[in-house]
Amino acid sequence: MNRETITLAMGAGGKQTAELIREVFQDKLKNELFTENDGAILPELSGRPVMSTDGFIVSPPFFSGGNIGKLSVCGSINDVACMGARPRYLSAAFVLEEGFLVAKLEEIVSAMAETAGEAGVRVVCGDTKVAGKGQVDGCFITTTCLGEMVVQEAPAGARAEEGDAVIVTGDIGRHRAAILLARDAYGIEADITSDCAPLWKPVEALCQAGIPLHVIRDATRGGVGTVLYEIAHQSSVGVQLEREAIPVQPAVHGICDLLGLDPLYLACEGRLVVVVPESEAERTVEILRAFPDCTGAARIGKITGGNTGRVTLLTEIGTQTYLPEPGNELLPRIC
Amino acid sequence: MEQVQQQVRQEIERAKEYLRNYDGEQVNLMEVCGTHTHEIFRLGIRSLLSPKIRLISGPGCPVCVTGADFIDEAVYLAKQGAIITTFGDLVRVPGTKQSLAEARADGADIRVVYAPVDALDLALQYPERQVVFLSVGFETTTPAECLAVKMAKEQGVRNFTLLTANKTMLQAYRAMANKNKLIFLYPGHVHAIIGTGICRELAEREGISGVVSGFTAYELLAAITVAVKKAQANEPFFVNAYPRVVSEEGSLAGKALMEEVMVPCSAYWRGIGVMEGSGLALSDAYAEFDARKRFAVPEMEGRENPACRCGEILQGKCLPPDCPLFGKACTPEHAVGACMVSGEGTCSAFYLYGNTTVEEKVL
Amino acid sequence: MCVGMTARVLKVNRDVALVDASGARRQISAALLPSVEPGDYVMVHAGAAIAKVGEGDAEESAGVLRGLFD
Repeated sequence: MNRETITLAMGAGGKQTAELIREVFQDKLKNELFTENDGAILPELSGRPVMSTDGFIVSPPFFSGGNIGKLSVCGSINDVACMGARPRYLSAAFVLEEGFLVAKLEEIVSAMAETAGEAGVRVVCGDTKVAGKGQVDGCFITTTCLGEMVVQEAPAGARAEEGDAVIVTGDIGRHRAAILLARDAYGIEADITSDCAPLWKPVEALCQAGIPLHVIRDATRGGVGTVLYEIAHQSSVGVQLEREAIPVQPAVHGICDLLGLDPLYLACEGRLVVVVPESEAERTVEILRAFPDCTGAARIGKITGGNTGRVTLLTEIGTQTYLPEPGNELLPRIC
Repeated sequence: MEQVQQQVRQEIERAKEYLRNYDGEQVNLMEVCGTHTHEIFRLGIRSLLSPKIRLISGPGCPVCVTGADFIDEAVYLAKQGAIITTFGDLVRVPGTKQSLAEARADGADIRVVYAPVDALDLALQYPERQVVFLSVGFETTTPAECLAVKMAKEQGVRNFTLLTANKTMLQAYRAMANKNKLIFLYPGHVHAIIGTGICRELAEREGISGVVSGFTAYELLAAITVAVKKAQANEPFFVNAYPRVVSEEGSLAGKALMEEVMVPCSAYWRGIGVMEGSGLALSDAYAEFDARKRFAVPEMEGRENPACRCGEILQGKCLPPDCPLFGKACTPEHAVGACMVSGEGTCSAFYLYGNTTVEEKVL
Repeated sequence: MCVGMTARVLKVNRDVALVDASGARRQISAALLPSVEPGDYVMVHAGAAIAKVGEGDAEESAGVLRGLFD
């Protein structure tokens, strides 16, 4: 590309659009299914089709441990994985801001290609629009993932049962902490890398081991606390956590202490909440820990019949409290 | 080390046992500090206490005692084009017509900062804009705000001002103590600045009892235990249960700084009313950094919802569930009163954590 | 009020100190603590060190409770 920045002409559908698609997208994402036609014709799937879609507007688009490209692939892949389905194909729609650097776009698309490759998923169709300066913030991406179910009964938010174990696949809150650092809003420095990762492989291992996966949820927006409340409501159960069993990286704790936040509400982009029968809890954690993105997997609590619709915490001094149900914008607290 | 840990655990277990089984005369404790309220709920400490020990959440959350008129002033300045910088806590507090969050949705430039000096940095970064910092807080926070103003003056910064609603604790202690027979859990970080001399005097001269407390589980348990135990003698007392941070004289530098930059004024406490000498405003030497003066901010009416009982709740006269709005018209997502909007407010704590204990034990 | 956080002082340059809380670092004002030195623990609030911190909370609390029940 001889142009350094994205221009409105690149989104106008003419020669420059074709050039952008050819040189940035097709070059990096090439595979025989991604053609110049209006749609992709896909082979038959080997299980019931599962589809999920997600929009990404993260600001800033680059952060420690990833960028919006990697994030947009992980997000949709993980949503499909949470259904007990193998992610196969992705679509990606970009809205770019006039003036965005082409070099940055190339980096974003490269990250998408790499992450998709790692997860065994192909990007088969896409779209690019250019919005005027100030109309969007740099680069927005929407991805849709199509996958095939590999389990008989899909894990679901309503399937948690009394006595089940609650497991997270690693230490929590790193993605949101990495974003806070990347924004440089509060003058804090720390060595924190986003947990952003595609998680089909560990889920596949759990499926192959025949573990009855009652619920799998990725703890994105609102963090683990929000996801657990969703499960509590959908399954009409209570969730009881042990505060000291919840894995949190010390630096994430440090940021939370500084800003008066609780790691349970920080978004993760590579962490799943998995609910399985108690008898399978140990095996589940063991299988997960064999994967590089899940070495910190831990059992953090259990599903209870009482306290329906609520998440409770066993505190460090042996008392039991409610975890406040999140509902508001996450704001740092000083007083 | 192991042995020390063992001893600590033993002491704490004994304290918990005592608090759980206490069966003496009713003891009323007021935790004055919003962070204490927050931690007491977060740690489930209320569930450990015998029914004979009552914890009342006092007026020590600056957000809760800030009037609607202050938010109105901030919204006014934002609409005039200033960058409003604030601690996150204030963003959702309802004004008469709008909160800062609602003003932001209308295009106002509202930015959350971690420290007052960060607001000053923003002023240096945008020399063509006016940057106003919403200066709330008690003696813990006020020195940090004074520092920012002092630096602004030294550096000749012309586009940085404070909108002040700073408050001091002493008059509030007196007002609360007069209305209720209370033992205070004094706010540890306020007294890190002002020292404990004042607490000693309150006990000796005015018969007002209290314990300075830290904020961790151990510190809160220890402070509450000491308070209940000392109350048995029926004599005014004072104990500093937070000596690792708080000293008799406090922070000399912090006190000197506040005296240099600010002067006492009367202040309006939401729900309590106006108390003489309970506020701080910028002194004449720093008048040019007073947003009200620089921008001639008109007086705001500051209408608060008359059904809201925040005022009585702040004074321990009633509990949140006694308020007709609680949990119905007033929730954290749609707060009517400041006690619901602040994460440290009593109403918010009651709403989010339940009344005192988890209803059904599943231990 | 007042969320406080204990942090270790890494560097001091006149009135400004770099502090570390479990790996989260920030520059804060040390103007209220003229004698602060690297290695000290301080209580941080709103971007300023408001007090030096002595021992840990557990030892302190045990000290406060000691003798109370005897």
